[in-house]
Amino acid sequence: MVSVSHPTHSWDIIQDVFYRKEQVYELTWQIPGLEDYRVAAAKSGGPIALLRDETKMVLLGRHNVGKPKIMVYSSSGIQIASLSWDLSPPVMIGWTPEEQLLVMAEDGTYRIYDLSAASAGISTRGGDPVAQSLIAGEYRQYTLGSEVADVGVISGQVHDEGFVVLTGSLAFVHVKGWKGGRAAALCATAKGPFHHIRPSPAGRFLALTTASSSLWVVSSDFSQSIADTDILTLEGNHDASMPNEVEWVGDQAIALKWDDGRLFVMGPQGEGLSYLYSPAPVLVGEIDGLRIISTETCEFIQKVAEPTLAVFRPGSTHKAAVLLEALENFEQGSPRANEGIRSIKPDLASAVDICIEAAGLEPDPVWQKKLLRAAMLGRSFLDLYNPTDLVNMAQSLKILNAVRHYEMSSYLHLRPEPVLKHWACAKIAAATMNSGAGGAREDEELRRIIVRKYETEGGKGAGGYAEIARRAWQLGRNKLATKLLDHERRPAEQVPLLLSMKEDRLALVKAVDSGDPDLVFHVLQHLRATNAPGDFFSMVDDGSTKLAPAAKLLQVYGKEGDKELLRDFYYQDDRWLDGALLSIEEAGETEHAQERLASWQHAVKDLGQDKERTFEHKMAEESLRLLTLQEQMERELEHKYAFSGLTLNETMSHLLRIGLGKRAEKIRSDWRVPDQRWWWIKLKALTANRDWEGLEAFAKSKKSPIGYEPFVKHLLSVNEPSRAAIFIGKCDVKNRVDLYIKCNEWVKAASECKDRGDRARLEHLKANAPTTLIQREIDDIIKSAPVKSGGGFFG
Amino acid sequence: MSASPAFVRPAEPNVGPSSAPRKSAPTASVSGDSSSHRNTSGFNTFNNRSVDVSLLKNLARDTLLEALTDIQGQKTLILDKALSGPLGLITDVSLLKHQAVEKMFWLEAGPLNAQTRHIVWLCRPKRQFMQIIADQIKAHQQLSNPSPASPTRSKGKLDEPSSAPHQHHTYTILCTPRITSLCRKVLEDLGVIGDVELREYRLEWIGMEDDLLSLEMENVARDVYLNGDDTPVFHASLALMTFQRAFGLFPRIVGKGDAAKRLFNLMQKHRQSDPATYGDLELSNQVDSLIIIDRSVDWVTPMCTQLTFEGLLDEYVGIKNSQIEVDPSLLSTNSSDSAPAASNSTDTFARVPTAPKKRKHHLSGLNDSVFADIRDLNFASVGARLSKIAKRLEGDYEARKGLKNVREMKDFVGRLGGLQSEHQALRLHTGLSEILMPITRSEEFSKMLEIQQNIIAGYNLSSQLDAIESLMNQEIPAMLVLRAAVLLHLAQGGIRQKMLENFKKEFLQASSVYGYHYLSLFIALESLNLLSKSPTITTFPQMRKPLRLLVDEVDDVNPNDISYVYSGYAPLSVRLVQCVSMKPAVLATSVTAHNNINTSVASTAERDDTAESVIPDTLPRAHAIVGWKGFEETVRAIPGATFDELQKPEHGGPLTNCSCFFRSSPQVSVLISFR
Repeated sequence: MVSVSHPTHSWDIIQDVFYRKEQVYELTWQIPGLEDYRVAAAKSGGPIALLRDETKMVLLGRHNVGKPKIMVYSSSGIQIASLSWDLSPPVMIGWTPEEQLLVMAEDGTYRIYDLSAASAGISTRGGDPVAQSLIAGEYRQYTLGSEVADVGVISGQVHDEGFVVLTGSLAFVHVKGWKGGRAAALCATAKGPFHHIRPSPAGRFLALTTASSSLWVVSSDFSQSIADTDILTLEGNHDASMPNEVEWVGDQAIALKWDDGRLFVMGPQGEGLSYLYSPAPVLVGEIDGLRIISTETCEFIQKVAEPTLAVFRPGSTHKAAVLLEALENFEQGSPRANEGIRSIKPDLASAVDICIEAAGLEPDPVWQKKLLRAAMLGRSFLDLYNPTDLVNMAQSLKILNAVRHYEMSSYLHLRPEPVLKHWACAKIAAATMNSGAGGAREDEELRRIIVRKYETEGGKGAGGYAEIARRAWQLGRNKLATKLLDHERRPAEQVPLLLSMKEDRLALVKAVDSGDPDLVFHVLQHLRATNAPGDFFSMVDDGSTKLAPAAKLLQVYGKEGDKELLRDFYYQDDRWLDGALLSIEEAGETEHAQERLASWQHAVKDLGQDKERTFEHKMAEESLRLLTLQEQMERELEHKYAFSGLTLNETMSHLLRIGLGKRAEKIRSDWRVPDQRWWWIKLKALTANRDWEGLEAFAKSKKSPIGYEPFVKHLLSVNEPSRAAIFIGKCDVKNRVDLYIKCNEWVKAASECKDRGDRARLEHLKANAPTTLIQREIDDIIKSAPVKSGGGFFG
Repeated sequence: MSASPAFVRPAEPNVGPSSAPRKSAPTASVSGDSSSHRNTSGFNTFNNRSVDVSLLKNLARDTLLEALTDIQGQKTLILDKALSGPLGLITDVSLLKHQAVEKMFWLEAGPLNAQTRHIVWLCRPKRQFMQIIADQIKAHQQLSNPSPASPTRSKGKLDEPSSAPHQHHTYTILCTPRITSLCRKVLEDLGVIGDVELREYRLEWIGMEDDLLSLEMENVARDVYLNGDDTPVFHASLALMTFQRAFGLFPRIVGKGDAAKRLFNLMQKHRQSDPATYGDLELSNQVDSLIIIDRSVDWVTPMCTQLTFEGLLDEYVGIKNSQIEVDPSLLSTNSSDSAPAASNSTDTFARVPTAPKKRKHHLSGLNDSVFADIRDLNFASVGARLSKIAKRLEGDYEARKGLKNVREMKDFVGRLGGLQSEHQALRLHTGLSEILMPITRSEEFSKMLEIQQNIIAGYNLSSQLDAIESLMNQEIPAMLVLRAAVLLHLAQGGIRQKMLENFKKEFLQASSVYGYHYLSLFIALESLNLLSKSPTITTFPQMRKPLRLLVDEVDDVNPNDISYVYSGYAPLSVRLVQCVSMKPAVLATSVTAHNNINTSVASTAERDDTAESVIPDTLPRAHAIVGWKGFEETVRAIPGATFDELQKPEHGGPLTNCSCFFRSSPQVSVLISFR
């Protein structure tokens, strides 16, 4: 075993508090100095994004001129992604809690990059520089709106739930969330009296550097001043300058950084530790300490945690320290091991726990193992001990060490899917790097390997082919991507990717196959936006039965809100009837007579093109003719009457009612209105006008083609029984009696019976007569009957 | 109209010749849309083992309430009018108030007057709504947030935040059942997508009755058959998946029609593509099959005038989402809290001012025993039944005179509330009958009925068009005329070109209710092959016999067969369901009527008919589902896919049999095998 330095070697003390500074990584990147960059690091040891700071002068030749590039590195300095930036100059970068990268342009446009897809393809060992063209992050783009765009953005800050920017008009604008939420003005001032304001990780304190050059630590509600230290007189601050960066180190200490490379970690009382870096590092506050990223290393400084103190503090007599010592004795075969353990027997369980905890806090595997062994030793002296913590810790450490040393581990109790996905993406990336975008044979081979692995390892229903396919596409292997997509069972995943791969037709086919019309609409929208109308139509309406539903949905889409598109579609395809229908629909929707006329004109024209539609053509012509006539009449009658929009029957009826019977007759003959209909119209119009003379004259004008019962019934329906009765004489004999009764003409009903010699009915009438007077009259008729009829029917 | 009514049939534990006499027909029924239809008490619970639909009922309500609770604080709710009916069936205003809904408006164009912090739109995903909402958001923002960048420069001190942040509004659109990419695009194009949060409210099953679930979608037939837009089918497939998540996989799915087949296919697809959600579904032990019949299979029935009490109300007064609009005097009551009208009337959303003249009333058999009693009666016998109920009520009231002691008095008072509400209901239904009576007695009504029955029976078809035209001259409603014409087309396979064109011309020229714009409708009917020149293929005539669609001796008062609902015509779609679930009912050559008919077991048939037959005790009853057996040839002759599939749980391997057509069986002696 290599000799290992004792953990306390990295410890330092501020007052009576121990701090440790460990080197986490030696960075592999080739960055000469971070001072030229805006740097944003994600929390919890997350990735680091670098962006050339345009406001700083730069040595010629040190950076590429041209479009800004954003480079993303892991905490160990391996490049994860490189994003080219084509918008206006970026003014802010930051990470969301989900480790998505937010980049804000000067004009308020911002993108949120999801790098997980891109990172999936990096082969990690040794950090091979991956060709940058291969890496493209997916992003969503939003804007802060035109008002912000007008004044521009100066800078900003990302926090856990959103971000704040300072606009060119010195207003703060806040956006909540990461989904393009609305920009809301926060408050209307900018310059405060403080150079830096930093809340502590737990949010209890604020560290402020004030205009009077002091570092003021105050409870976050400003109620309690904790410390107020004059920065200018700080130990080592020889030029009495103000720091350029202030960060918390946990909740206890504050780090101050000067651009010349000085770093001072200060305890509550103003004393602290000085470090010197060249060039100056970048500070990243973490919840439990501070990450220091310099050009060469990534270091972590934190307060030494309690369990670690208990075990390793020089001269510690803590039971956990005793347990560790016992282990050393035990391993050397010394009987003092037993002694030591017995001396702490009552607290042994908690000593074991502390050793386990301390193991988790040690970076070095040698000490981790030692502490776990101590815990195991202690455990064997306990009757009842739940080993879950020990097992979990051992497992976690194994995984963490493996990750740190780039070893794929099978100890992860994860669903196989993400692992498979990662594996497949790496597989494709590696294959592509070795041999470029391979031929069809190689594509097929890769597909086979991936699918087989998926089926054997993934378990039933493993999905996620779409994401692998997306990776393949990003790597330029369209064929492979398409093949892989075929295995994807969720069309909602398949279709958008096919669209971004420009596999338009395939996307359309898959969308139709899915049976989800919304997916088809989605594709149609996309195709509509990216293609010339002609190409769009011929792609959707290719005459195949496969795409027939899409052609239908195109029309639904058009009717919903793109009528011009639809009209073009019908025109291009000689669909005259459909075009005409569209016009007729429009005619029905408009309020304006002129527009209605124009729409019908269109319809007539279109229908005229279709040889199969002579009837419809004729009807449309009629409609147009009627509209024209109505308009003409309105003009001639000096707009005293409105005809527009009435049906043919209504027009005639209206004319009759206003005493323009001649015109009505003219329409009747022009339109060859059948007699029956004409008679109904005129009957109703005359009745409505209460033109009783006219009605009688009309009835006599010729034999009614609808008979006379409609006269009776219609007059009855408008409550004119006596006038109705006039026409009963012309009705069918066998109905007359009933009709008379309906008209309340009992006597006439009786004489009708008498004429027909229906004695039984007469008696019935008499019995049911409403008044005695009528009864008597009926009786008279009955009595007169034999004499008058002479026929002796009653015999 | 319903595109794909589907029948769900509860499992039968114990089938076979030995099983004890059972109550009749099974089944809860579910339907794609029941703009007017409901299914009946027909689906009698089988030994009370019906499917408990309250689970789905609560789901609809709870998801809405959750969606609203998620938005914390006072909110203004702006509602798509078309949703008020369906929502009225699942919740009411007071429940919404609990979710801090302060005000409600209809979703209409025009500025928004909302003071609350949150503004929520609840609507169907329609383009025009998105446009209105975008306009409203823009106008509302201008009003309440004048420009965020108004710099107030002040030095040295942090300004107090201005009052502006408190005025912030949040905008949420709750789309039901889904957000479509079309809507998203519209909002994007109008530049408000960043200002508004889009959420989905998966409104699926709405419990109409204890045995009826509906999706209450509108214009389903138009979308699916005319426009080729399967959105409703897709939605129905998701809803049926939800159903299966609640009750388990349908062990068997039987269906008829191309759209029905597409629905079935989608259901299989969901299982495949979303194993995380549907992978572990087991076979249901409550439901033994799903029958899917698609509207295109039976266009005949909805063309006929419905003749039951509820059916006629639907035809002439209009039932929408189980609600009817009536004169308030019919609902008024002297003792306000005991009357059902007051508690029933789902004027949930009527707070929003509408035409105040009529009031909405929720028609339901659940809390209106009089309605439950008469809804499915042929209208001819409604009068008698009503007066019988009136007499009984009178007797019950009279009972108070004979009360002997305090205890009896107490009992009586206890029943009084029930009596009063029954009395109230009686008044309402008597009033409604009085509205219907003159209509059914009119000459036009009987003439139309005669025409319909002649056409259905295939009697003297050649003179029916003339008869329709002469009714048209009398300006009867356009839809009645068209329905009769379509019926004629279906019965004789088209109409002779010359006659058809003449008919259309008359129709287009005629008075107010018709007009030239109907030209589009005629073209649509032609493309659906519902009204076109002869010859076209029709299968209706050849179905009359094998499916026993015409029943000569119908007893309207004591019916023994579903044909009473159309006074002699048994709805084709009902017969198809019977082919699967109640074969003897289709085959019966003569059934003796019974006098002691259990009246609660009645049935209705509506224009939209998903009506289900229900047959009293002694009549043919439901049996184990064995698919189309015995009717294969007949059913196959009807255009559209025919299928009968078994579903298997995932771990049992994938579906092995994917043939969509019926596997024919040699056994024909159906009668024997099912008795």
